[in-house]
Amino acid sequence: MLMPPFTLHNPTTVEEACSLAGMLLEKGEAFDWVAGGTDLLPNYKWHLNPKPHVISLARIEGVDTLSLHEIGCMARLADLTLENGIHPLIVEAAGKVASSLIRRNATLGGNICLDTRCFWYNQGEDWRRSIDWCHKADCGTGADCRVIPNQNTLCVATYQGDIAPTLMVLDAEVHLIGPNGLRTLALVDFYQLDGKKKNVLEEGEFLLKVTLSEESAGRTGSYQKLRVRESWDFPEAGVAASWHPGDVTSLQIATTALESIPRCHPEEVAVVLEAGWDGMASVKALAAGIRKSVQPVNNTSLPPRYRKSMVRVLTKRAVENILE
Amino acid sequence: MSGGYRQQPGGPGQTTRKDGKRVAGKQAFPPPGSGGSKPNMATRDLDFIPESVGGKESQPAGSHIHDRVRTGTSVGKETPLVDSNAKVTGQAWYGDDVRLPNEIIGKILRSPHHYARIKSIDTTRVEALPGVLAVATGADAPQRFGVLPVTKDEHAMAVDKVRHVGDLVACVAAIDEATALEALNLFDVEWEVLEPVFDPKKGLEDADEPIHWRGKYHLAKTNVQKRVFQEFGDRSLVENPHAESHGKWKMAGVHHGFTEPHAVVAHWDPNGRLQLYTPQQVPHYTHRALSTVLDIPMHQINVIRTFVGGGFGGKSDPFPHEMCAAILARKSGRPVRITFDREEVYWINRGRHPSHIEVKMTADEDARISGFDIDALIDGGGFASFGHVTSYYNGVLATAPYELGSFHYTGARVWTNKPASGAMRGHGAVNTRCAVEVGLDEMAETMQVDPIDLRLANLLPPHSRTISGFRITSNGMREALEKVRKGSNWDEKFRKMPLGKGIGIGCGFFISGSGLPIHWDPNRFPHATVHMQVDMDGGVTVHTGAADIGQGSTTAIAQVVSEVLALPLEMIHVRSHESDTSPVDLGSYSSRVTFMNANAAIRAALEIREQLLNAAWEILGYHPNNLIMNDRRIYYKHDPAIGVSYLKALHKAQEDKGALIASGAYRSPPMGGVHKGAAAGLAPAYSFSAYVAEVDVDVETGMIQCTKVWAAHDCGKALNPLAVKGQIIGSCHMGLGQVLSEKMVYGRTGHLQNANLLDYKIPSVHEMPHVEPIIVESCDPEGPFGAKEAGEGPLLPILPAVVNAVYDAIGIRLRTLPLTPDVVFKGIEKTLKASEFDDPTDLPSPTLEFSSMQPKLVARAQEHRIRDKARQRTEDTSPYVNGVLFGFDPTLPLEDQVEGWRTATEPDPEQLAELGLAGRAWLKKEQREMEGEN
Repeated sequence: MLMPPFTLHNPTTVEEACSLAGMLLEKGEAFDWVAGGTDLLPNYKWHLNPKPHVISLARIEGVDTLSLHEIGCMARLADLTLENGIHPLIVEAAGKVASSLIRRNATLGGNICLDTRCFWYNQGEDWRRSIDWCHKADCGTGADCRVIPNQNTLCVATYQGDIAPTLMVLDAEVHLIGPNGLRTLALVDFYQLDGKKKNVLEEGEFLLKVTLSEESAGRTGSYQKLRVRESWDFPEAGVAASWHPGDVTSLQIATTALESIPRCHPEEVAVVLEAGWDGMASVKALAAGIRKSVQPVNNTSLPPRYRKSMVRVLTKRAVENILE
Repeated sequence: MSGGYRQQPGGPGQTTRKDGKRVAGKQAFPPPGSGGSKPNMATRDLDFIPESVGGKESQPAGSHIHDRVRTGTSVGKETPLVDSNAKVTGQAWYGDDVRLPNEIIGKILRSPHHYARIKSIDTTRVEALPGVLAVATGADAPQRFGVLPVTKDEHAMAVDKVRHVGDLVACVAAIDEATALEALNLFDVEWEVLEPVFDPKKGLEDADEPIHWRGKYHLAKTNVQKRVFQEFGDRSLVENPHAESHGKWKMAGVHHGFTEPHAVVAHWDPNGRLQLYTPQQVPHYTHRALSTVLDIPMHQINVIRTFVGGGFGGKSDPFPHEMCAAILARKSGRPVRITFDREEVYWINRGRHPSHIEVKMTADEDARISGFDIDALIDGGGFASFGHVTSYYNGVLATAPYELGSFHYTGARVWTNKPASGAMRGHGAVNTRCAVEVGLDEMAETMQVDPIDLRLANLLPPHSRTISGFRITSNGMREALEKVRKGSNWDEKFRKMPLGKGIGIGCGFFISGSGLPIHWDPNRFPHATVHMQVDMDGGVTVHTGAADIGQGSTTAIAQVVSEVLALPLEMIHVRSHESDTSPVDLGSYSSRVTFMNANAAIRAALEIREQLLNAAWEILGYHPNNLIMNDRRIYYKHDPAIGVSYLKALHKAQEDKGALIASGAYRSPPMGGVHKGAAAGLAPAYSFSAYVAEVDVDVETGMIQCTKVWAAHDCGKALNPLAVKGQIIGSCHMGLGQVLSEKMVYGRTGHLQNANLLDYKIPSVHEMPHVEPIIVESCDPEGPFGAKEAGEGPLLPILPAVVNAVYDAIGIRLRTLPLTPDVVFKGIEKTLKASEFDDPTDLPSPTLEFSSMQPKLVARAQEHRIRDKARQRTEDTSPYVNGVLFGFDPTLPLEDQVEGWRTATEPDPEQLAELGLAGRAWLKKEQREMEGEN
């Protein structure tokens, strides 16, 4: 596999990065941001929508902060797996990402902005030519989606990041910066239900940091990941839950690797809470409710029916400690 | 020469300083006369000299013909592989490490269609691209080739038709990779898309356009490449069975998953000879195929085997890309390098066949196995590869280690429009073995007996004959079973553990070298030849064509030579890379190398040994019978002070003729039956193995974790226990992949969905259980120092051991491989639905209450134990053939004793209606028999 040629830019400040992005936009030149490169570069090697320019965030000072309430986009996942004063739920999830080798390079920002995945898409060029391309990388052909045939408007590639759901149940906020300035929004509002667009980042914008409120520090919980192998594999389904100890009404649940976006499930939780909390019975009802609410499609290693069934088990396991 | 030898340049003197470091410029040359880097002779290592010749190495299986040449030097000692330094320091040169001056890069245009006819290829635009130096298409190489002479169905590039996505269409060489890739987009190919076949069951039916056409031997218009029928024994025994098991299996195709992708460099030297560098298991077949395809004599080709980054059967075919590189190099006049992407590795495939296997088995009221009835439909993909043999192996390798009342096998291999299946570690034996061993477990369950005792009471003894006529010599099956039973504490665990925890048993049986050399008559040419040369420096150069593919064949050969000549390993130099210098060898497949090449090497070494001893006789005046060879010295048996150094004896032997040379060969003894296909599965020796696996099953998710494996393998004699253990552990890993997570996934459109190492799930270190390797040494009478294979057989038992352990854990028989969590979960869901429970954690765990049969089996096993011991040590040399357990006389032909005892290789007309899935291939007629019908 040969890396397609691109021009690499190495800004050293956030401002320089933004002005560089602005400049390229003005010239109409397409580009990608790269942080650790563990997601983008393999995709480039497979010629999956490569761009002529790549702006690296690696040399920017001060964007790798690590604290309980603020984590910079360039914080390495390997550092998130250590007891660095990070929220234990994030430590748990980060430790389950890929392999130790990849975690040495991969970053939090990259993991949150992970490209969506699909076995019709994550393939070499010859392979994709043999299926006449697909909607997500159509090479100008306007090809159909191969998962759900006869439509080329929505990409249903699956978001398979591990850390986003845990950040969601910790009420994380993301700070996005670009030529038009800084904006802050809740992580739950960050993702956009389209495997191609993925999130609300506008052209030229990148994710600068994640912040957690004072309140969330008191939360406890769990992240459950379904995968065939204990290393390397992306989640086939993932459920994160958090709560304030002793307060079931604070329960929040988010899922990942089931749809094009990771998602929080306030409605399903509310239904169970409204019915009155009843220990294990409620946990099971919750598990059934979350299972019902997700719609996995057939584009990852394990069949969607199984992944959906497992949501119940994962939810139960993520939540059952609340009974203690 | 009495003055001895000059030492280092500059004359004698201290070579080391007081602090132990070496003085600059003064090499520590060995003192005169000894050879090797250590100054003094080591004492004789009696621990590694057999009892039979006065040493202390115990020989429970008796003495061996090679005992008298044991010197205690290398054999039986844990020896790091001789090429490991090159590998761990990154200096080993694999296929893609070869860099020749002026080389250019070749790329292959691959088919985007499953099945299509090429109407035209226009290369004008490709040739016009600056930087492109050569272009080739199928028209440049119309000759067919294939690994088996009977099924040559491949071309360097497609001629007329492409047969799977990724099939080779054309190739191009350019000044760099980017240009070559760009050029691929400039081919203008006009296609006529044909109707593809993906389902092997469909392959049994007539097609509009079969994937290949075999002329008058073609079976109607089907895609059947090979059909097999074999029936032995008395089929009436299977009527009214006391117990039976019937299972239909679906096994996914798996790939070898070797680390090194295929890579090749081709270069035509100034004399017009082709030099081809390739990581091949079988360089000789490539050599032959190149000669055919390029239409030049074999002596104009030098095949250079680079280091091989894992093969496992996946690098044993001659490959079209090897031809492409040679063609492009010939056209461009420059060296051409082609290296595969991982996706291309999966497209060339040759992995284990996706299989539909049905096994019926029965036992009589004495718990004797009255019949195996096996039907195997295997999916060959687009080409024949080794498939002809695989079709046989799927059946015939199940005829041991158990004594059978009857055996019935129908097999068929069909072409489909997928990457070609081929040979993979445990070739052809793995899937059926799994089905058979699980069937035995099920029969034991019905009869309420312990499955290990059921096996122990039905084993063929050493020095016996299987129902299909295979000659069994050494046989360590019983010992292997006994050892894993004890090691795993089986009796305390089996059927006694809580839900979710299980333990299971599985056995294995595999050939140690195919008895039939594919390209020639074994009675005319030997299987293997080894040349040896000892020059004045004392170093021994061994020339062999044995391809070290990481299994350690070079080390094994160096070891046996070192053992015979009593020389340290550092003095043995094995040269095996070039076809110019190595004798023709069939290469590394069918687990033949240690058995055949080491035997040939021993023979060559014995010749050298004789010359050395004769020289010592002349110097010392003692007859060789009274001389002992030990570490670089030959001395008088009764007074070690009287002796001569190895070098002195060598130089004496070299007087008048210069370097000593010798050649040794191995040929197998005549053996086997005469029926059609009798040679398939025939081997000079067989390996046996028994594994116990323990698993944890998460009943809510269906996730299986194999936690511990006790793995006993009978390798005859462990020449290098370190390598044997490595092979056992590696086999466990590979087999676990097949049973738990690895599969080639073909999606609804027939495309291979996971042609990469992220989605093709080879177990990681986390999935790897603790493996306890147990070496069983049955001392094979014909093996080199008693050795048999250890590279493939150890893979077989892990699959059934795990499947049986899963049953022990959750009480559900699963017959779909791999047992991915969704498959297990589906089984659990189904069981739950049929039960009174809602929660899988409430499911009952299977239990076992022994029936009255159990003590009888134990008693019979005990009797057989005594029988086997006497036969193993050849204290009892009476003939034994399969059938004695059923009361037949081994000295008379069974056909004469039993009415209805059959040896058939074609079904009777009345059988046709009852044949299984693959057996249906027998409903079709060959074209030559269809005159007027078609």
